[in-house]
Amino acid sequence: MNSISNLEAVDNIINSTGKVIKKEPISDFQVAYEVNKSDVHQILTSLKLEGWKQLSYLSAVDWPEENKFELVYILLNWDKPVYIQIRAKIDRENPSMNSIIPIFPGAKYYEREAHEFFGIAFPGNPDYKKQLIMEQWDDIPPLRKDFDPRAYSDRKYPSREYPDNFSKKDKENESLEKQAKRRKRARKLRTGGEE
Amino acid sequence: MISTKYTEKKKFNKQEIDRKWWEVGDYFRRNSLWLLMYCTGCCAIELPPSMTSAYDMERLGMGPMATPRQADILLVSGYLSLKTLRRLIYTYEQMSEPRYVVALGSCPINGGIYHDSHPVINQLDQYIPVDTYVAGCMPNPESVLNGFVDLMEGIKNKTANGWKKYHKNYDWYKKNQFDVLGEVVIDDEFHQ
Repeated sequence: MNSISNLEAVDNIINSTGKVIKKEPISDFQVAYEVNKSDVHQILTSLKLEGWKQLSYLSAVDWPEENKFELVYILLNWDKPVYIQIRAKIDRENPSMNSIIPIFPGAKYYEREAHEFFGIAFPGNPDYKKQLIMEQWDDIPPLRKDFDPRAYSDRKYPSREYPDNFSKKDKENESLEKQAKRRKRARKLRTGGEE
Repeated sequence: MISTKYTEKKKFNKQEIDRKWWEVGDYFRRNSLWLLMYCTGCCAIELPPSMTSAYDMERLGMGPMATPRQADILLVSGYLSLKTLRRLIYTYEQMSEPRYVVALGSCPINGGIYHDSHPVINQLDQYIPVDTYVAGCMPNPESVLNGFVDLMEGIKNKTANGWKKYHKNYDWYKKNQFDVLGEVVIDDEFHQ
């Protein structure tokens, strides 16, 4: 069984369950489908029945120009060498996506992570609001594109002040010959006299 | 000729006796330092060559220790996120005194390459006192050992007194820690 026929089999499964907006083959072993938000659960269910029984990762991408978040579900099959990405775009204002815990229970923590980093709500997940990674975050979710980490860092963590003449130049010893001599001496110390 | 005349023995007051004993203690302490390695960042990769036969830290009388209560040095190797900083402060406060802090790399000095990162603190000495910095990204094993020798000199010259500073400016350190970490209200299933 080669990988081409595997990809075609995946095509058949997905086209029979939901509408594909865009298909993007990534490599011989990886393929991405962009689908509607409402079709995701059905497609994931049918893929799970066909053998893609492990959810490798649930990721989210921020597209501020389109005013959308994109959720990426990556599925792994232990028998066929094909990774499938199911992508769905959701609104950026009050983002919400029904949880996939009934299909993949392991998605619990991925959904909590997505909520923490992007602020996406997952109704159906009993504790998606609990903090998972960061402790007591006090700003907008940090992986959104409109979050400015430098401004946050400058505001929250004091930065060290340096005087203007911080780097002292040694006027007497800055000629090239003296630098070469210093380097030679250092090399001699390091190698024990061998060149 | 030795005078047979009775001379009264010189009386030392308590502070002078204390100072003498501290000097004796510091002599032995600086020749037998035990490290608690808090390997937070990438600088920890410089410790295996510093400890093993290549540079052999043990010739300076230093060795690794597993628990904070028996260690002398808290070695912070690399960047500290807020979450790590909280644990680092717990660890530092568990250590017995005198305790010294050595910070490796440029991240504890001014943030290093993480100076604009949202979870990484910029200056360690705002939160706990640091006795010796070893600059570099990453410092090579020679610099690491040089930093330890500097710390030994500091113990000898009584300049490595960060733990005294921590007592003296305790309120200031606590205020900075609370400003950045907030109250300890952790609400997840791992802490219930």
